[in-house]
Amino acid sequence: MLVLLFILFGGLAIGCAVNVVAQRNPLYCAISLIGVFVSLASLYLMLAAPFIAAVQIIVYAGAIMVLVVFVIMLLNVEQDERRQIRVGFLVPAAVVLAGLLIGEVAFFLWSVSPNPTLPPSDIGLTSSIGTNLFTTYLLPFEITSILLLMAIVGAMTLAHRTGVLTPNARVIPGAQVLAASEIDPSSSHEFPTTLATGSTTEAARILEISSPRTPDRE
Amino acid sequence: MDSQAIIDIVLRFVAITVVFTIVLLIVAYTVLAERRVLGLIQGRLGPNRVGYGGMLQPFADLLKFILKEDIVPDKSTRFIYFLAPVIATMCALMTMIVYPFGPDLNLPANIPYIGSTIPLVVAHFDVGLLYVLGVTSVGVYGIALAGWSSNNKYSLMGGLRSSAQMISYELALGLSLIGPILLAGSLDLTKIVETQSRWHGSAWLILFTPISFIVYLIAAIAETNRVPFDLPEAETELVAGFHTEYSAMKFALFFLAEYINMFTVSMLATTIFLGGWNVPFAEDIFGRNSMLFALVSAIGFLLKIIFFLFLYIWIRGTLPRFRFDQLMNFGWKFLLPLALFSIFLTATLIFFNVL
Repeated sequence: MLVLLFILFGGLAIGCAVNVVAQRNPLYCAISLIGVFVSLASLYLMLAAPFIAAVQIIVYAGAIMVLVVFVIMLLNVEQDERRQIRVGFLVPAAVVLAGLLIGEVAFFLWSVSPNPTLPPSDIGLTSSIGTNLFTTYLLPFEITSILLLMAIVGAMTLAHRTGVLTPNARVIPGAQVLAASEIDPSSSHEFPTTLATGSTTEAARILEISSPRTPDRE
Repeated sequence: MDSQAIIDIVLRFVAITVVFTIVLLIVAYTVLAERRVLGLIQGRLGPNRVGYGGMLQPFADLLKFILKEDIVPDKSTRFIYFLAPVIATMCALMTMIVYPFGPDLNLPANIPYIGSTIPLVVAHFDVGLLYVLGVTSVGVYGIALAGWSSNNKYSLMGGLRSSAQMISYELALGLSLIGPILLAGSLDLTKIVETQSRWHGSAWLILFTPISFIVYLIAAIAETNRVPFDLPEAETELVAGFHTEYSAMKFALFFLAEYINMFTVSMLATTIFLGGWNVPFAEDIFGRNSMLFALVSAIGFLLKIIFFLFLYIWIRGTLPRFRFDQLMNFGWKFLLPLALFSIFLTATLIFFNVL
């Protein structure tokens, strides 16, 4: 029974993983990835680790993939056009890596003898995870937390970076469409101009605005 | 497999079928109750023509949904368009199995293959609460994908709004449950209910964590996309939001999912905060092992859920809708800090042995 379930979910995980790579529509890829996560959670559940299984679903399938789907929907990414794939050195590299992987798996299968009388472990249970996390591994846990906090602060800083633009000016990467008066109200330019530049500073230079004002310093 | 294992599996399926049928019936009548109560609040009658007092209205509606033409938009993404309502309904129904709706039922005689006690829960799960949160978080995809696959601006806006709203309020929802978990010391819903059996079955966790309860109540309304948080389907702005392009039975599935979600969040609120199946003094009156005690407890559980359902309908009839920036500010700047404060308070009180 357990073997059947393992084959089912293992097969599902591999199938979904292949689908993630094979699909051209980014949203189908994302949905396949959710399928991978759900299958992995089922496998964890069969390994008597219900807590890890639940966290796998909540964090990966429920939070991270929602953000990925959200971004795909927000940007409305079109179907990726099938283009000539430049293979070159990739094929031999893939063959070598696949050989390494198969060799590794074969090594484990041959050298490690299965021990059916393994005592039931409590690694995956909630209490043992909590105890270990807050006693033995407290320092790594806290360091990881601070790392994540730094990532959040960094994301906030990047999202809130206004530079020389007023809040109602639009920034398009690669080309900037903005009225010169928005950069510098005292400038004589009145009409919106399209500039193929990557940065606002350069746009200001082309528009001959000597000292772009910064809203931050007001 | 021996016959015992096969019979166990069959019994499990029977239990799931029975629970799903009961829940779907209650949900059907919740729809009717909502329309009648809203009528009462707004000074009109509501549907009262089909059957006695409108009692057959849900079935008439169902018949109508089945007979309607199923229209699929030409430019929709076919597969996901079909998948979305399935995900929504499935995720809503899947949480139903872990809630204990009564104490162990002690039968008068030992029935072969069943035994003499029946636990009134479909599946006993060590991390039941996390399972509920996990399945609920997957339910977001139903709405988000419905909005995307319809290929309609309004649907897409509804889908985007709902995913932003749900991941924002999921945090407050999850954090509001940590206080009760700290007090119960378990993620197992059965154990959480049993810890509330002290004081003759009136040691409900709402008495110890009232702030968490309020946070949960608000976040739960937002999670089910109901008024005043029904921005994903704001009819004044978005036609009908994420289900604009859905018709017939597929629309009914979304409708059903919303009401089942309403039922499950009420069930979770009852289980975590209002003592689950604990009815004060019922154990003293009927005795621990009597069948009557199990019956009274199950009815008490149901009544508490019905109270929450009524509360949701009442709120819908009373409050206007939030604006989207108000919604986000409220969730992140008020509800989340409040939930964190509640955890801090509960943990401190537990640390000093007050609770």
